[in-house]
Amino acid sequence: MIQASVSDGRYLKDRASLYLLFLAVVVVFSVIVLLLPYETVYVKDRAYLGLFLATVIASVAVFLLGVLCNVLVWMRGKGLAGSPEGRLLKLVPKVIRFVLRKGVLRASSVFVKEALYLSKLKDRSVTRWLMHLLILGGFLATFVLDLIVTFSLDIVKYRPMIEEQGWAKMWIRDFGFDLAGSLMLIGLLIAAVRRFVLKPKIVRTELPDAVSILFLLAVVLGGFILEGIGIAGRIEGHQMNDVYSFLGYAFSRVTPNSWGQYYDQVWLVHGVMSSLLIAYIPFSKLFHMIATPIAIEADKTLPEEVAL
Amino acid sequence: MKKLDISKLDVLALMRYDACTRCGECTSTCPTGGEAQDVELVTPRGKILRLREFYIGQYGLRARLLGAKEIPKEQLDELTKRAYECTICGQCKTVCPAHLDTIEMWENMREFLVANGLAPLPAHEQIIKSIENYDNPWMQPRTQRSRWSKRVEKDVRIKDALKDRAEVLYFVGCTAAYDPNIKDMAINSARTLAKAGVDFGTLGNEEGCCGSTLLRTGLLESAKKMALKNIDLFEKARPSLIVTSCAGCYKTIRQDYPKVGKVNAKTVHITQFLAELIDSGRLKMNKRVEAVATFHDPCHLGRHNGIYDEPRKILEAIPGLKLVEMDRNRDEARCCGAGGGVKTAFPELAQKISTIRVEDAERTGADMLVTSCPFCYQSLKAAIDAKGSKLRMLDLADVVGMACLGD
Repeated sequence: MIQASVSDGRYLKDRASLYLLFLAVVVVFSVIVLLLPYETVYVKDRAYLGLFLATVIASVAVFLLGVLCNVLVWMRGKGLAGSPEGRLLKLVPKVIRFVLRKGVLRASSVFVKEALYLSKLKDRSVTRWLMHLLILGGFLATFVLDLIVTFSLDIVKYRPMIEEQGWAKMWIRDFGFDLAGSLMLIGLLIAAVRRFVLKPKIVRTELPDAVSILFLLAVVLGGFILEGIGIAGRIEGHQMNDVYSFLGYAFSRVTPNSWGQYYDQVWLVHGVMSSLLIAYIPFSKLFHMIATPIAIEADKTLPEEVAL
Repeated sequence: MKKLDISKLDVLALMRYDACTRCGECTSTCPTGGEAQDVELVTPRGKILRLREFYIGQYGLRARLLGAKEIPKEQLDELTKRAYECTICGQCKTVCPAHLDTIEMWENMREFLVANGLAPLPAHEQIIKSIENYDNPWMQPRTQRSRWSKRVEKDVRIKDALKDRAEVLYFVGCTAAYDPNIKDMAINSARTLAKAGVDFGTLGNEEGCCGSTLLRTGLLESAKKMALKNIDLFEKARPSLIVTSCAGCYKTIRQDYPKVGKVNAKTVHITQFLAELIDSGRLKMNKRVEAVATFHDPCHLGRHNGIYDEPRKILEAIPGLKLVEMDRNRDEARCCGAGGGVKTAFPELAQKISTIRVEDAERTGADMLVTSCPFCYQSLKAAIDAKGSKLRMLDLADVVGMACLGD
């Protein structure tokens, strides 16, 4: 019914182009992931590393597919001429061209003020604003730190990031990650107490709401537990300057040293859970992390001539 | 299996359904879902989640892999009924931390429901037929549209703008033209314009319904026809300015007409025009009005168009009149309950909401409740009467009439 105005050939071509593009992105990502040397990943059993990498690749593929499917649903909206796939293929370059030519400053300021700083939420409830800002800020900081650390460890092999006494190891890998994780943890704890203990009337908790928050909590707490085990068990990479990993260090104080023998297993569980969380995003309420900034930008930045 | 046709939902609306964070900020202030009924499905969050669940079940990844999910008819009917219990007041837009333009979303949701054969509701059908057949929602003959002007024709010269070009076209609107209880709004508006020496006229019996009711109930195609008809009349009349005294007409002509055709004249609400006349000294309000008044912001004027200052400026300029504010005012103002076709389809619900608003006004200690929208007027007046409140319901044009004409 919807594709009535386009020929079957055109429709198939659009679909094939989009899914080939998707496949190419997944393949490129997989190649990058598999080619990295991972010399500073301290799991003894390389099979665990392999299992983790396979999960990462699969999760990222599912994440991208989920996002793509959601965006294709948007493309079924009013004004559709042709297939949703064709519409998306046409729209993306059009929007990028507009933003690059005329809208970079505007798009950036809208993004920072409304999507990152959440100015409107601040006006309505400081507690919720702080809670959300901590979770979002912590999540984004962790993501950025992950990229920086992976790049400097496995691609440029930056010594201060590798050596136990290196400034980057102490301040970025140890302190930076702990700070970002702590922000997220505090935000998530406020959210959990609000949702499960205080239960204000406006909060409605259904399975997707509970799963999202508990999943995030499990991943963040899991990271600190893993670090605590690493420090307590004196695992390589956790042998000096423990206090920079301030929260991991605190966890290590209540972790028996003998748990160090399970470090690889806990590392795998944490890694797999983190990957699965990424795969879960497009199918959960967490998808608003992607959809909300896009909707805000589309509303406030794009003129009518860049018709959606 | 019947699959929902989502091609009538805006692309932006589909994005916004995904962008909803489920925070529930909208639920507590929603006049129909939160305050009057406490029914989640009527609240913005409730509607968003339910509709999204339906279409994702038919178009999402799972549907692509395993086939579309069938939606029971009764669930679709329930969503439809609940969607029409919304007054489209826009309070949810004000409070939404994700910046969702919910006003557009609800109007678009109704268009989608109509396109899928689920709406309009039977209660709206008579009004729709009336607009389509008589150019007004009140089943009144076209020849009676300008009858209100008979009461002022001795004192005021109202031009027939289609025959004798007038600088200002006064777009009266169906309610002020036909409802005997609201006619004073049109009469006082005309007398005030004349008093200020404005060269104005109307479209007389040719004026058609602006189409607001059709748009708000989701009948986009019928509304387009009405819009094009009126735009054609505007072209013939060639005014420099179109002044409306109905907030619904104002929203429709200003925001919706440009989507279907070019309106060459600037469109303003009468509050904007009167404020300007007062500012420029053309309209003198020298009769004292000894009263304490509170102003109810009509949703179509306030949240939908951002007009908050002008009505207050006018009231504050009236000698003797003291303006007091309700706790919920401006963009946080409660709805009167009449909008979005709620008064027609769910009169009891509308009255419940308007009673809450009247109570807001009573708490201020005011003796006058003033608004600038015929629908709000009707709704609040009915609640005042039903409640036996001491408040006196007035339209802003009536108060201005008292201040500059002395009656």
